[in-house]
Amino acid sequence: MHKEKPELSFKELFTAKPVRQILKFLSSMQLGIILLLLLAVISVLATLREHNTAIQSIYRSWWYLGIMAFTALNLLLCTVRRVKPLTRQALYPQKEQSAEAIARMPVKEKVVLAENLPAEKVLALVADAFHRSGLKTEITTGTHGKTVFAQKGVLGFFGSLLSHTGLLIILVGAMYGALTGFELQGGGIAGDRISVPDGNFAVRIMDVWMEYEEDPTVRPRVYSDVSVTEGGREIADGVIAINQPLRFAGNTIYHTTFRYVSDVIMHNVSTGETSMHRVWDRDHLGLDSKGLHIHFLAFFPNFATNEEGVPYSKNYLPENPVLAGIVYDEKEKPQSHVYLYLNDPVTFSTADGEIEVTLTGFQNAVVYTITRNLGRPILVTGALMFVLGLYLSFFLHPRRFWALYDQEQAAVLIGGRSYRSRLMLEQELEQVVKEITRREDE
Amino acid sequence: MTGYLEVSPLGLAVENILFTIAAVAYLLSTAGYLFYIFGKKKLGPWASYLLRFSFLLHTAFLVTRTINAGRIPLVGHFEFGNVFIWACVLFYLWLEWRLQGRDYSVGAFLTPLVVLYLAYLTVAPHLITKINISRAHKPLQPVLQSNWLQIHVSASVLGYACFTLAFAVAIMWLLKTWLHNKAFARNLPEPLILEEYMYRASGIGFLFQSIMIITGAIWADTSWGRYWGWDPKEVWALITWFVFAVYLHARFTRGWRGMRTVMLVIVGWVAMVFTWVGVAWLLTGIHSFG
Ligand code: HEM
Repeated sequence: MHKEKPELSFKELFTAKPVRQILKFLSSMQLGIILLLLLAVISVLATLREHNTAIQSIYRSWWYLGIMAFTALNLLLCTVRRVKPLTRQALYPQKEQSAEAIARMPVKEKVVLAENLPAEKVLALVADAFHRSGLKTEITTGTHGKTVFAQKGVLGFFGSLLSHTGLLIILVGAMYGALTGFELQGGGIAGDRISVPDGNFAVRIMDVWMEYEEDPTVRPRVYSDVSVTEGGREIADGVIAINQPLRFAGNTIYHTTFRYVSDVIMHNVSTGETSMHRVWDRDHLGLDSKGLHIHFLAFFPNFATNEEGVPYSKNYLPENPVLAGIVYDEKEKPQSHVYLYLNDPVTFSTADGEIEVTLTGFQNAVVYTITRNLGRPILVTGALMFVLGLYLSFFLHPRRFWALYDQEQAAVLIGGRSYRSRLMLEQELEQVVKEITRREDE
Repeated sequence: MTGYLEVSPLGLAVENILFTIAAVAYLLSTAGYLFYIFGKKKLGPWASYLLRFSFLLHTAFLVTRTINAGRIPLVGHFEFGNVFIWACVLFYLWLEWRLQGRDYSVGAFLTPLVVLYLAYLTVAPHLITKINISRAHKPLQPVLQSNWLQIHVSASVLGYACFTLAFAVAIMWLLKTWLHNKAFARNLPEPLILEEYMYRASGIGFLFQSIMIITGAIWADTSWGRYWGWDPKEVWALITWFVFAVYLHARFTRGWRGMRTVMLVIVGWVAMVFTWVGVAWLLTGIHSFG
């Protein structure tokens, strides 16, 4: 097969001098350290800001995200660059070493034997001692004669590769999720329908109910039964509560909080006109055509006032429901407090005559956060890889030992190298030497 | 609305007594370790016995608290702090077991930190009005009733304990190098050995810190509808994580040794303590229950 050769191959492009230098800089750990420190410092400064929104704006700013992206690029390049050398180092170790090389190793020991035994026998004994310490052992024959080669924790070499790849996958997942997702707040009472145009579906609230805790002062759990439809066809249904979202096709409906919705009837005594209103906290209710209105502030399921006259709810049991608010005139000047007890009308004289306002009932409403996050499976995969990589990095310590037998001195020369922990290497060697001397005595 | 659990007077008394004795025993074993480091070598094993005894009492306290509260004590400053202290001692005792009685000097630096954390839980609220650490038994709010909470908090406790150990060793390193010709410093391990302790403790701490951040994100995703919201506690956990990431890379790939790495570990520990203490009293956020 013949292929037309491009003017500059991919490989050549990346080995051309200036490009190579830029790539080297971009993939360097120096840059990595600077970027990570920069992220840490900016994050510190951001959290010391006064206002939450100001803080949030930093993390959404182009330059903060830019530094993150730059760190990700740095991480990607340096991970890619490490693949080949790491694989070589992990899978193709040099199994034989000269006596001089062993003498230069960070950890070494010379075990002089009591009598001069045949090399075969000594090396077999040494190999067995390593084997007993849990290392993989083999005896190779090369230019320096026979060498015992023992190693453990090879997977540890790949720990950082795996954790970096996992981290990159997490970043990809977060980006993908942000680009393809949406977030929306909405809610209602039983019977309401929330339409979600971004997701092309609608949520119908079938039922809402509350389960009180044994201790009624503890915030109760609120459940709601919903049915999700797409073009009139039901695509999902289930019960939603706190920590119990409904998930379908990458979408999630979370219970965010609950509210009380009051049924209020307004009756004009002079004209006999009656109207019904559904009132949420903070809603306004106009009393006359001039602008007199009630601003409702809070609903108390079990109303009481403390010694200073401040209203509060004794607990969540609906034993003394009260809807409280303040009456304002047309100039937004507060006139008086209003406390609507259940089925106990309060009368106001207004420009339009006597108006009776009555709280006739109340219902539980739910507030949802509805989101789509298609990045979730990617995030989970990345997180698992990341944690597994960290585990390999910090719990498996790749270590290697080489041993030669010096027939003239009747001495075993052992040297070791580790990828991380020198202390562990020393302890292990100590143990192996002990084992060799013990076995030799037998 | 109060929201407290009712606890039997007996249960409460047992819990408080166990806590007090454990605290006093920690204090005494700290004294033992300090005597050890200042030359009374014979006291080493005794300090260690006392620490193990204190640890048992502290364990008994946590068990009593679990029974009294009817759940694992992982929420609120007081409970978190106790489990955190318990984990610090656990890791240190593990190190002592690995050393098989050859050296007790790390204990002389770890136990004062334990005492410092205890003082924060018990004395600081009396001195600083802004700090308000309640010992009351509270039931779990619905949002906290999740298995992820247990994994998340356990991971953070273990991570913080490792970082505390790394910090204790960092201080040892500083004293060893500054006072190298004093008798006191001669009782400390060689700087290279200390650096290795610091490295291993930080590495394992980093693993737990990562698990903490990830499980926290999963938990936030199921209860708040977002996995990351840049709230101060989250950001400070991330800052701590960044600092230790810098340390691990600087040591591992750039071959940094000595002072620079010790400083990074100290900064990382400060960030960790701020995540726990500072965020709660100086910054505000959704995490205010922790
Ligand atoms: C916050 C993000 C990062 C995390 C969590 C992370 C995690 C890790 C871990 C756990 C190790 C093993 C370290 C050890 O054994 O002490 C490691 C090694 C390494 N990291 Fe990172 N890393 C991050 C960012 C970076 C960046 C931005 C670079 C880019 C230059 C980088 C380059 C390296 C290199 C070259 C190694 C040594 C790899 C080896 O030969 O095994 N890391 N990283």
